[in-house]
Amino acid sequence: MKQFLHSFFLMMLACSAVLAQPAPDAVSASRRTNAQATVSGYIKDAANGEGLIGVSVFVKETGSGITTNSYGYYSLTLPLGTYNLVYTYVGFTKQNRTVDLTSQNVRLDIELKEEGRDLQEVTVSTKREDDNVKNIEMSVNRVEMKTIQKIPALLGEVDVIRSIQLLPGVSTVGEGATGFNVRGGNVDQNLVLLDEAPVYNSSHLFGFFSVFNPDAVKDVKLVKGGIPAVYGGRISSILDVRMKEGNSKKTTVSGGIGLIFSRLTVEQPLFKNKEGEARGSFIIAGRRSYADVLAKPFLSGDLKGSRFYFYDLTAKANYRINAKNTIYASGYLGRDVFGADFGFNWGNTTTSLRWNHVFSDKLFLNTTAFYSNYDYLLDSDLKRKDPKDFFNWKSGIVNYSLKPDFTLFLKNNTLTFGGQAIVYDFQPGIANAASGGEVRTFGLENKYALESALYIGNEQLVSKKLQLQYGLRYSLYNYIGPGEAYEFQTGVPAGQRRFPVLTTKYDRGEPIKTYGNWEPRFSAKYELNDVSSLKVSYNRLAQYIHLVSNTTASTPLDVWTPSTNNIKPQIADQIAGGYFRNLGKTGTEYEVSVELYYKWLQNQVDYIDGADLLLNKYLEGDLLNGKGRAYGAEFFVKKNKGDLTGWVSYTLAKTERFVDGINNNRWFPTRFDKRHTVNVVALYDLNKRWSFSATFAFATGTPGTFPTNGYIFQGYLVPHNAENSRNNYRIPPYHRLDLAATLQNRKKKPTQKWESNWVFSVYNSYGRKNPFSVFFRQAEDKRTVTMNGEQVQIPVAEAVRYSVFATLIPSATYNFKF
Amino acid sequence: MKNNHIFGFSVIHLILLGLLVLGLTSCEDPIDIDLQTGPTQLAVDGWITDQPGPQTIKLTKTTGYFDASQPPPALGATVIVADEDSVIREFIDVKKNGNYVWTPKNGEVFGKIGKKYLLGIRYEGQEYISISQMNPVPAIDSLVFREEKPNPFESRTGFRAEFYATDLPKQTDYYWIRSYQNGKRLDGTQNIVVSYDGSFNGSANTDGLLFIQPIRTSINPDSLYNMNDSVKVEVLSITPEAFYFFLQLSTQINNGGLFASPPANVPTNVINRDAKGPKAVGFFGVSAVSSKTVKVEKANIRAKED
Repeated sequence: MKQFLHSFFLMMLACSAVLAQPAPDAVSASRRTNAQATVSGYIKDAANGEGLIGVSVFVKETGSGITTNSYGYYSLTLPLGTYNLVYTYVGFTKQNRTVDLTSQNVRLDIELKEEGRDLQEVTVSTKREDDNVKNIEMSVNRVEMKTIQKIPALLGEVDVIRSIQLLPGVSTVGEGATGFNVRGGNVDQNLVLLDEAPVYNSSHLFGFFSVFNPDAVKDVKLVKGGIPAVYGGRISSILDVRMKEGNSKKTTVSGGIGLIFSRLTVEQPLFKNKEGEARGSFIIAGRRSYADVLAKPFLSGDLKGSRFYFYDLTAKANYRINAKNTIYASGYLGRDVFGADFGFNWGNTTTSLRWNHVFSDKLFLNTTAFYSNYDYLLDSDLKRKDPKDFFNWKSGIVNYSLKPDFTLFLKNNTLTFGGQAIVYDFQPGIANAASGGEVRTFGLENKYALESALYIGNEQLVSKKLQLQYGLRYSLYNYIGPGEAYEFQTGVPAGQRRFPVLTTKYDRGEPIKTYGNWEPRFSAKYELNDVSSLKVSYNRLAQYIHLVSNTTASTPLDVWTPSTNNIKPQIADQIAGGYFRNLGKTGTEYEVSVELYYKWLQNQVDYIDGADLLLNKYLEGDLLNGKGRAYGAEFFVKKNKGDLTGWVSYTLAKTERFVDGINNNRWFPTRFDKRHTVNVVALYDLNKRWSFSATFAFATGTPGTFPTNGYIFQGYLVPHNAENSRNNYRIPPYHRLDLAATLQNRKKKPTQKWESNWVFSVYNSYGRKNPFSVFFRQAEDKRTVTMNGEQVQIPVAEAVRYSVFATLIPSATYNFKF
Repeated sequence: MKNNHIFGFSVIHLILLGLLVLGLTSCEDPIDIDLQTGPTQLAVDGWITDQPGPQTIKLTKTTGYFDASQPPPALGATVIVADEDSVIREFIDVKKNGNYVWTPKNGEVFGKIGKKYLLGIRYEGQEYISISQMNPVPAIDSLVFREEKPNPFESRTGFRAEFYATDLPKQTDYYWIRSYQNGKRLDGTQNIVVSYDGSFNGSANTDGLLFIQPIRTSINPDSLYNMNDSVKVEVLSITPEAFYFFLQLSTQINNGGLFASPPANVPTNVINRDAKGPKAVGFFGVSAVSSKTVKVEKANIRAKED
């Protein structure tokens, strides 16, 4: 296999070297063969110089086209001739350009102007708004930041992840749960990328806010199916978040003051030349919650010095070396800190460096090197450090990666190929305990793994009606030393702890276990007519790292663990099919889609009853291997135009799991299985100053395991499920309506730079006590009864509904920009 | 996290504290719910110690969850405990209330350290057995108090108890720690405290050390002790099986909230000899006990550390 990878890589390099020849006679050479020329360039936002992702470039003469990549780059190869190109993008005024490709390749960088709201009525069609039908992508949701900004989530704060939870196929275990579930996948099965670096915990304050500062985010794309070969490493979805590059035209400052935290963002051009043109720019954005600062005067005694806050800092800079080379550096640093005496803190750090290189008009390379770290620390006493008596505990995951991605633009074909290598360093947990002055360190050794992948994919326009996207990814995983590998008892009844029988020691770099997986990807789009299309897709994905979490909601303290000789990589196969249609007077007023999916999941991690997940060297003996299946239908209607916009989505779904030794070896619904999910988002622009939004969410109650019987042991009332079943009941359904209004403040002079608005919002507006879970316990107070003439106290059983938010939550936020 | 407590600290309380200050609201309301009742099983509650006085094994029948506070007694069973020297002691249900009792003769105590014990029950035509062992237990050296506020929101102060004991060296020990306020056992669901070598599970390195700090103060009621209270602490030696049983019992009866563990049945060590016959629930254990009883008074109150 090594040899294969080696030759594959060499082939790729050779291929790129040949294609990369930036020979001045490239056109004459091509003319001799099949007489073609290429128009290419970057497309940017005229207001701030941001590269625009997904701009459509349409050739009137041929009816063909392409969209810009994640860096705003496009390249179109056409037979020699003169062409009329149309550049269109959502919310921007379209541009027509005539390009002369009769003799040579043309570099054409374009700046698009954002259209004002007032202009909307007069401009005709502005973008390729028929993307829904025309784009080969399926099971993909792009949410424009502008839309996200109009639907404030909790406490008036705009939030990326809370917004994508309003899309079909996306759900959570409940409010406040870390992460999100896509089409029946676990929270650890989403690859959350921030400028191509993975983020291991996307939540602040458990799950109430996400780590993405909306002021620094440019583009959010969620891929739930038909995942192209360029992506890998997680099996359920890709959440690709791209940061803004920073305004390259002028310095801007924006920010907001809310109830829970404040934001401040500065953007500035860099290296301006005499003409005032910048070669680069940067953005730096920060947030910090300040409940602790406000609460300080009210805290006394032991609570003094309590900490409960989070902050994050997002920064990015880019520099255009020349027309062919641009470099980007991005970083994220965030931390949550909680605790009075005993406390914990956790956070992510990511850094990515990227180099965009245009080899020739046809070959584009992006190379990313990233570092990502997630760690947490528990401490028995945050305030006063007693060197004689303390307990603390650290855990985390660190990884480094290099990832070259090539795009080769050919006539009717766009070829992508590249690879990735990731080095993982897992720190499952190191604890220090001191008792009476004696300090002991204990915990688990770090674990190491190497994950590499090579892929090749092609997007092919077969005919005007049929477009294909296919590819193959090969991922190779090595669990390597230094470390110990364990073999466990066999023949233990399913669902019970297995004890280790053999320990083998491995040296640094020595392979302990290797896994390899071929991951085929395929999508096809067939246009039935101008306004409707059918799409189908299949993908297989492999995942080598697992989040060990056995609680209802995943916690910040869950530990990532590698695949080992005992834990097999997770594999998912998904097929999906859909019908896409545009409707309305202008043809694209409404987008409608119906998608069906079926997903098979292998090697799903589950846990024995009473599994011991913390600081357990023999954790693998407490894990079970299960399989899963998820299937459903997603209905989506979106209104794109007019004063009233928004969408309605409905998901009918089922998510089940099968694990030997659980639920009497029968399939059971997962904790996040929801039969029906309805989301309605409505945005209404009343006038230039006022706009309103409403979001409504409904979901079937999630399943829970309820007792059938009970007994008393040592005075405790013990719940018991006589059938030993899992998730045998459902909690009541969830529904919630949020309302928000945005007021743009009047400018005193038309030239005034200062822009500001107020956002007023009400979360959970009818104050429903939505159950997060229903659990059973003995009431705190016991009941006194007379038994055989004696007074005895007996425990009382009760069922308890636990709601994270039991009332409506109003808030106001002030945002500004200058 | 297997439980909403990390090393004895409640994550839920921490979160509630955070949310409270952040002005958010979470809430727990009792609700009515219809549960289907499953088949009835034999429930065993048997814990025997080396302390003087009668020893009791309670047998009841499981009932519907909401009726389980007053479970029907399992009557007419034959209950014996045999040690490895084949000394058999019979437990008799004198009052016909499901409490099967063995009463020692003068000066006799039950059990010897290091010995294994077998419980045998014959009930409704089924034979159930269970095995436990009486392990050694260290002495409690002292029990002292410090004046503190029960929690930061209260202005009154109470007395936080701390006991000192040293883990037995060169062996893995499991303990169950119980405490009593004025003779009444602290029997809230949060009062189940077990320890592994004087520390928490997984910390293989505290062998032979003084019991670590959170364990030393794990014996307090929420409102702390009052002046002149009589406070008793017991350390019971238990088997590894019992240790895991208590961990799971504690997880299951304190379960709930954001980070609840999946509800699962608490394990049992009472086995029906007929593998196809009805299964029992509950646990049988034997323990050696060391204890200390101290009054909250000046002589036992230490200055606050900081």
